[in-house]
Amino acid sequence: MAIQNTPHRWGSLSQLLHWTIVVLIIVQVTLASMADDLPNGMRKLTLLARHKSFGITILALAIVRLLWRRLNDTPALPDTLKPYERFLARFVHGALYVLLFAMPLSGWMMSSARGFPVSWFGFIQLPDLVPRSKPLYEAFLTTHEVLAWSLGAVVILHVAAALKHHFVLKDDTLRRMLPFTGKKERT
Amino acid sequence: MVRASLAVTCAAALVAAAAPAAASAAAAADAVTHYSLDQAKSSLEFAFTQAGAVNKGRFGRFPVTVDFSAANLAASRLEVSVEVTSLDTGDKDRDDTLRGAELFAVAKFPQAHFSAARIVKIAAGFEAQGKLTIRGVTRDARVPFTFRTASEHGAAVAYMAGKLSIRRLDFGVGQGEWQATDQVGNEVTVSFALRLAAATH
Repeated sequence: MAIQNTPHRWGSLSQLLHWTIVVLIIVQVTLASMADDLPNGMRKLTLLARHKSFGITILALAIVRLLWRRLNDTPALPDTLKPYERFLARFVHGALYVLLFAMPLSGWMMSSARGFPVSWFGFIQLPDLVPRSKPLYEAFLTTHEVLAWSLGAVVILHVAAALKHHFVLKDDTLRRMLPFTGKKERT
Repeated sequence: MVRASLAVTCAAALVAAAAPAAASAAAAADAVTHYSLDQAKSSLEFAFTQAGAVNKGRFGRFPVTVDFSAANLAASRLEVSVEVTSLDTGDKDRDDTLRGAELFAVAKFPQAHFSAARIVKIAAGFEAQGKLTIRGVTRDARVPFTFRTASEHGAAVAYMAGKLSIRRLDFGVGQGEWQATDQVGNEVTVSFALRLAAATH
């Protein structure tokens, strides 16, 4: 499979970034909900430290992804889409990109405001983005939570659309983001 | 010598009168100054690694007794008593955890102490050598510091600052799950910057 995208199919790098981020988001939701239920203690500290490290990883991958998108063709939306579906697809994809940045950044700022600096797996300590402040912390905590629920809603739309294309419309919209399903490249 | 020879030839009454004056003059030269802490302008901070990142905290109350003269270190004293419960890391949950039984156990050990047995001159300033007690565990400690006197609006003040590194587990700060050092490091850097006011006589 080509590394680069073609007008009809996502290349291997785009696929790798897409699916890696999918897995990391599942890890993030799991870590966050596990930590949420715990009393303060070493276990919570450890889970949240990992949550922050994976979050920074997602932020870095999102940057790579956006750059890669600029350097590549973006496979076109199927011709069968109605104008409102076209708009909805663009909106959902745009929202996903925005959230891939906004989620980690709001989490990072939340940590800074609370006075728990962020480290990437203990290798690099990241600078504080905002000063220590309780009201700021609470504002970013709410932001982070609202964004998380928004991400959930947008992901549901995204997945529902992909499944509709695959099972109802029976086109290759989903397949072109899946590895090992490449039909002969149409050129 | 002049004064001594004069004294010899002087009347006994004069010698008797002069001797206490000379003695007190000599004592004044080597006298240590008693200082009191300007708590509002002093800081006692600690830095530790948590989840790979350096986190900081401070103590709000730490009465200090300083009697100091660079010319008379033998008579100089340093005593610090830290109200551990006044710790502040900027996060109430973390502060409460730190005050808890497995870390500082403030209910049982409300204070930490440092008491200097001697103060010596070192290249970078001075060093107080003595005993540090945290969470009921006493260990030898060396506290290097600088000491600078100044006159501010006619008042004699002094600035004392220093930094030392301790291992929290040496003092039992970290029982149970907190004995692990992968998320919360063993090494803690303690730094202080004190503003001291000289006692007026």
